[in-house]
Amino acid sequence: MENARLVRWLKQVGDTVTQGEPILELETEKSLVEIEATETGWLVEQLLAVDAEVHIGDQAAWLETDKAEDAASSPRAAPSKTSASTPATPQTPPAGSGASAGLMADVPPKAARGDKSAAVAHASEASAASASAATTAAVAPATATRIMSSPVARRLAAQANLDLHTVRGTGPRGRIQLSDVRRAIEGKTPPTTPQPLSSMRRAVARAMTLSVSTIPQFIVAQAVDWTAVQAKRTELNAQLTPGAPKVTVNDFLLQAIARALLTYPALNATFRGDPSSPDAAIVPAQGAHIGLVVAVENGLLVPIIHDVQQLGLAHLARRRTDSVDRALKGRLKQAELEGGTFSLSNLGARGPDSFTAIVSPGQSAILAVGRQRDTVVAVNGGIHVRPMSELSLTVDHRVADGRLAAEFLRYLVEILEGNEWRA
Amino acid sequence: MSQTFIEILRRALDEELARDKAVHLLGEDVAAGGAFGVTRGLAQKHGETRVRNTPISEAAITGMATGAALCGLRPVLEIMFIDFATLSLDCLVNQSAKYRYMSGGQLSVPMVVRTQAGAAGGAAAQHSQSLEAWFIHVPGLIVVAPSSPLEAYGLLKSAIRMEDPVLFIEHKRLYTMREDIPATLELPPIGRARVARAGDDLTLIAYSAMVPTALEAAEELARSGISVEVLDLRTLLPLDMATIAASVSKTHRALIAHEAVLNGGVGAEIAARIGSELFDELDAPVTRVGCPFVPIPFAPELEHALLPGRDHIVRAAREMLGTQG
Amino acid sequence: MTDPGSLSLSSTLDLLGMLCRIRQFELQVQRLAAAGEVPGFPHLSTGQEAVAVGVCAHLEAADTLFTGHRGHGHVLAKGSDIEATFAEIIGRDSGLCRGRGGSMHLVDAGRGVLGATGVVAGNLPLAAGAAWAAQAQGSSSISVVFFGDGATGAGVFHETLNLASLWKLPLLFVCENNGVAEFTTREEHSNVSKVSAFAAPYAMPTKTIDGNDVLGVHEAARNAIAAIRRGEGPYLLECMTYRMAGHFVGDAQQYRSKEEIAAMREKDPIERLKRHLLAGGMAQAELDALVERARQQVLEAVERARAGARPAAATVGEYVYKSASLDGIPG
Repeated sequence: MENARLVRWLKQVGDTVTQGEPILELETEKSLVEIEATETGWLVEQLLAVDAEVHIGDQAAWLETDKAEDAASSPRAAPSKTSASTPATPQTPPAGSGASAGLMADVPPKAARGDKSAAVAHASEASAASASAATTAAVAPATATRIMSSPVARRLAAQANLDLHTVRGTGPRGRIQLSDVRRAIEGKTPPTTPQPLSSMRRAVARAMTLSVSTIPQFIVAQAVDWTAVQAKRTELNAQLTPGAPKVTVNDFLLQAIARALLTYPALNATFRGDPSSPDAAIVPAQGAHIGLVVAVENGLLVPIIHDVQQLGLAHLARRRTDSVDRALKGRLKQAELEGGTFSLSNLGARGPDSFTAIVSPGQSAILAVGRQRDTVVAVNGGIHVRPMSELSLTVDHRVADGRLAAEFLRYLVEILEGNEWRA
Repeated sequence: MSQTFIEILRRALDEELARDKAVHLLGEDVAAGGAFGVTRGLAQKHGETRVRNTPISEAAITGMATGAALCGLRPVLEIMFIDFATLSLDCLVNQSAKYRYMSGGQLSVPMVVRTQAGAAGGAAAQHSQSLEAWFIHVPGLIVVAPSSPLEAYGLLKSAIRMEDPVLFIEHKRLYTMREDIPATLELPPIGRARVARAGDDLTLIAYSAMVPTALEAAEELARSGISVEVLDLRTLLPLDMATIAASVSKTHRALIAHEAVLNGGVGAEIAARIGSELFDELDAPVTRVGCPFVPIPFAPELEHALLPGRDHIVRAAREMLGTQG
Repeated sequence: MTDPGSLSLSSTLDLLGMLCRIRQFELQVQRLAAAGEVPGFPHLSTGQEAVAVGVCAHLEAADTLFTGHRGHGHVLAKGSDIEATFAEIIGRDSGLCRGRGGSMHLVDAGRGVLGATGVVAGNLPLAAGAAWAAQAQGSSSISVVFFGDGATGAGVFHETLNLASLWKLPLLFVCENNGVAEFTTREEHSNVSKVSAFAAPYAMPTKTIDGNDVLGVHEAARNAIAAIRRGEGPYLLECMTYRMAGHFVGDAQQYRSKEEIAAMREKDPIERLKRHLLAGGMAQAELDALVERARQQVLEAVERARAGARPAAATVGEYVYKSASLDGIPG
């Protein structure tokens, strides 16, 4: 497979990008492929348009990172940032001004399994290009663009010995403003004095302390094979209306959890009160209300999706996308943070092999999903490589014992490895 | 006790006439009360020699006020519309402003020229202008533009006590504005601006009728979390750069709003000074809101389309704050 | 010539002395201007001295005087110090106005010279204002304003006549009608050849006299000023005269014929007064001595003026405002 079509940008210019995070989708003859970022930074320019035919080796985007140390002395060509008015981007990547000519390119696991998807793997090429570009750009100052920054921002940067090339401007036409410099300074300086808690850190600290001190928690774990889910996902996404949010692994997980909760209603309940008190009770929930752990700036939020059992996968994808989006923007309503019994925490492709999550206060269980890895398994006496993850289920012992938890988990995995899905 | 702008001016003049025998009022119809009623009753109370009507002779009466000021009177001359100050210009610019300097300090001209400016619905091009920018260009003059009844009361009294010629520019639209005047009042100094509203994100500089508009804009911006500091200049010449500098050094953004035409307006002078004296404090370009380069038209729709208002200020402020807004 | 018996000899000699001092003063201004020592454009009143001298003889120190761009004579006739006046004209710090006014903006407040102005007719309403102040203050002072016939073209001339008449101001309008305004003759400026014709529409008393007859001016001014001091209101005195020098120093006077110039010398007020005094029995030598004394007085004053200090550049910003907090500020 040599070429593919760019279906969708998952990240826009100006968005922060984490290494490993998918930032665009390609469609090959056989499948949809997500291309992930190889660097952490922010997306400075999209070089390919939606629907463009792309080939292995194409440059897809510029990322800008904070790596400026190696370029301290060379004359700089500031990367062109957001302005539509700045003409031709330099063909050579900007010199070592801290902008590594990063492309997101990574071979997704499926490709290694023979899935013929176009991989635009350029991580190594990119860094080589960057090194050579450090010299070429030095002799091509004509393509350099000025850093736009306000006078007071310059002054503060000078006082802090901060190189403006390393600062991202959020002002009009990408101008670096005072707040940008302040942010950059804060970001670079580790605190040396005790830091008062932000409200987010306080909330998380309170919740986790409360959970660990009042809920007796135990863990059961099992591996899951994603083969079936991946096939179903591809099939479903191909049928979606353009522009609709794509179905992801998390949507399958949510639907599976909902089914499992309804099958094991004992776990779809919460413990109320003090165990010694006569008022203590186990309160059943009506319907599957599942929280999704979302990492936000300096903390986390757990929006609840209510009545997941009623939602097909496509619908779930929309609800999930909306919830996550609003969580990231701080626009969740209070009702969205209440009423769940179960949460899902998936740290994604760059997460650990396995981890244990802490039950949210007011809930009874949480499922932690380790990263997907190609794993050698024995099936029917033969050796196979399958995409697998470790699932860890943490449970409130006041609501359920080990046996119930184990049965629940096994049933969950059966669903995930099965074929009965509601689209 | 609440009074309108006009009532407060009358009260200030009444008190000054009583306080200082040198104070004399003159102008077209002033003894009869004046075109806007400001001097009503004052001739009856203080005598026709202290409050005198003049014929329609702006050039001569401005000269007479100046000559009398040279000789120990403190004339308060009323020029009905600032648009007619054009007829007074030879005297104001070539004589009143320069007498002290040209005489090497032998003489001074303690006179006040009260006039009014601004568009107020249908007065059209020759009765609606804001021409204060012409006068800040003349060394020797003082130019004051009060923004409310309380301000007008104090500033007029301060103006009458100045030893130099003061152009006191009222605004038509403020004439009906009401305010309570406390029993005792410190007279605001000429040449000192006032912080009408404290804020942190942006300095909004205004004067005259634009100050109430600026305060409305600040209130609206506050609802979006933008904290605007509103400066009421009060005196346009001399300009209080110290107060402007303190504010812009805090907010790092300056927005100037006036009703007058932008081209060559007072805002241009302030912007130039901020640009040169406060360059390193600026986080955004200095911005001005003012009237486009068009005479004030007659039809209400056209007039309304032209005049800068609260929405223009809000929009400009948001643009200046960019992604932060 | 007016009846010589109406004025004492000593007073007449005073008049002559002042005429000669003014004449000499203007000659010195002309001389130094030709040598490049006088900045700008001084306007000489050579030949028109009789009007200044005849009118100012009746003025007190408290009476206020306003004049125009051709005002050296008026200022001196009112009593200003010759040295200080000359120093101002050559831009010295020791000048009346510390070098800030110059020839066209002479002010000597202490002697009631409230100002010359370079804007034709600009002084008229100022004088009316000064007269109004005197009236309002209940003082018996009057105000006098000198202007040329060209000023009668200005609107403010008429506005001021109207107001002065309306308010019955103690103001003497003195028009020096020399038949020429700037570079053009009166016929080209106006169909009204005599300025006194403007008085009647404003209900103002007026007279037209020979402005080169100092005794005649003296007499007419006495009557006019007495009437004004009696509270009878303003008066317009028109003095027909002749400008011996050009509009300003450097003006080559291409617009006058030789015959005109010869006739003008006939009318020279100083020569006329001298002839009058000689006819009255005064000795030529005595006359010459008086003239020479006046000349010396001026020459010495001029030399002292020339030695005066020049203004320091650092003081340029002083006197813009009287209010202490404002003076010296950049706007």
